[in-house]
Amino acid sequence: MSLSERLLVARLLKRDETAFNEVVRQHGDRVFNLVLRMVGSRAEAEDIAQEVFVTVFKSIDSFRSEAKLSTWLLRIATNHAKNRIKYLARRREQGREPGGSDSGDLADEGRAPAQSHIRAPDVLLEAAETEDIMQQAIATLEEDQRLLVVLRDVEELSYEEIVEITGLPEGTVKSRLHRARMTLKQLLEDKFK
Amino acid sequence: MSEGDSHTRTVDSFSAYLEGELSPDEKASLEHHLSTCIQCRTSLERFRRTLGGLGRLKRTGAPHSFLADIQRQINRRSRGRFFRRRWLLFGRIPFEWLSLAMIVAMLVYYIVVLQSSPTGVKPIP
Repeated sequence: MSLSERLLVARLLKRDETAFNEVVRQHGDRVFNLVLRMVGSRAEAEDIAQEVFVTVFKSIDSFRSEAKLSTWLLRIATNHAKNRIKYLARRREQGREPGGSDSGDLADEGRAPAQSHIRAPDVLLEAAETEDIMQQAIATLEEDQRLLVVLRDVEELSYEEIVEITGLPEGTVKSRLHRARMTLKQLLEDKFK
Repeated sequence: MSEGDSHTRTVDSFSAYLEGELSPDEKASLEHHLSTCIQCRTSLERFRRTLGGLGRLKRTGAPHSFLADIQRQINRRSRGRFFRRRWLLFGRIPFEWLSLAMIVAMLVYYIVVLQSSPTGVKPIP
């Protein structure tokens, strides 16, 4: 942890409000983007990301200074996102949300055009490189696979950071991530067969 | 090693290959297989495109009201202990406005008090 980060944490421990504002400004976008990619809905992501920072303010005493603040934040974010995904799945199962998704869902956007006009698999894969189709594919991955793909391929974190966030051994991260990427590739291919 | 095993091994190494984590021998062996197998070459190309697509996903920033919303939440949950609402401009003492108010007050004082004093009375023409 750098000296400036140590000083920031020391101020956070004293519940310094300006230090907290600084943390939100520094890490807010990344936390928001991560949970957005995990849950696929802006409204949910906003709610979760706010909850992450409330937790940070409340639980800063449990932060171990050997870790990086950003990694600790992202670990809290992934835990909150996972819990919300489970909660939403339960709610959907109970039938309170027929149809499943909100109007603000990233995965709902842009489904038809690519499917209706393009035919050759390679061209389709090129089309699949667009934001919306990729997000739909990510959303269909299992939760653990989705997390690894988002952390490594979207957020571009190092394996060391991913190990710290997920608590998984590096070998497991790499093998699961590879399987996730292969699943994603297969999903995109199947989508346009 | 059968042809099927060779395909599987190649496909299993895609991530390590693209991230530069294969040993020189493993890399050479994989590239040799790729040079002779169009199926694995196509598969690698699609794999690469999938990763490229992920990398190009745009970052979505938090909404503008994000910080204020969090502050409100903490204020509510701490029953007003933290992030109390401050009636200051931009959350700090507004020195610019204070100095402007001082200047205006001095000007008013000059006009009203000094101009109406005996020394300030203009002679009647």
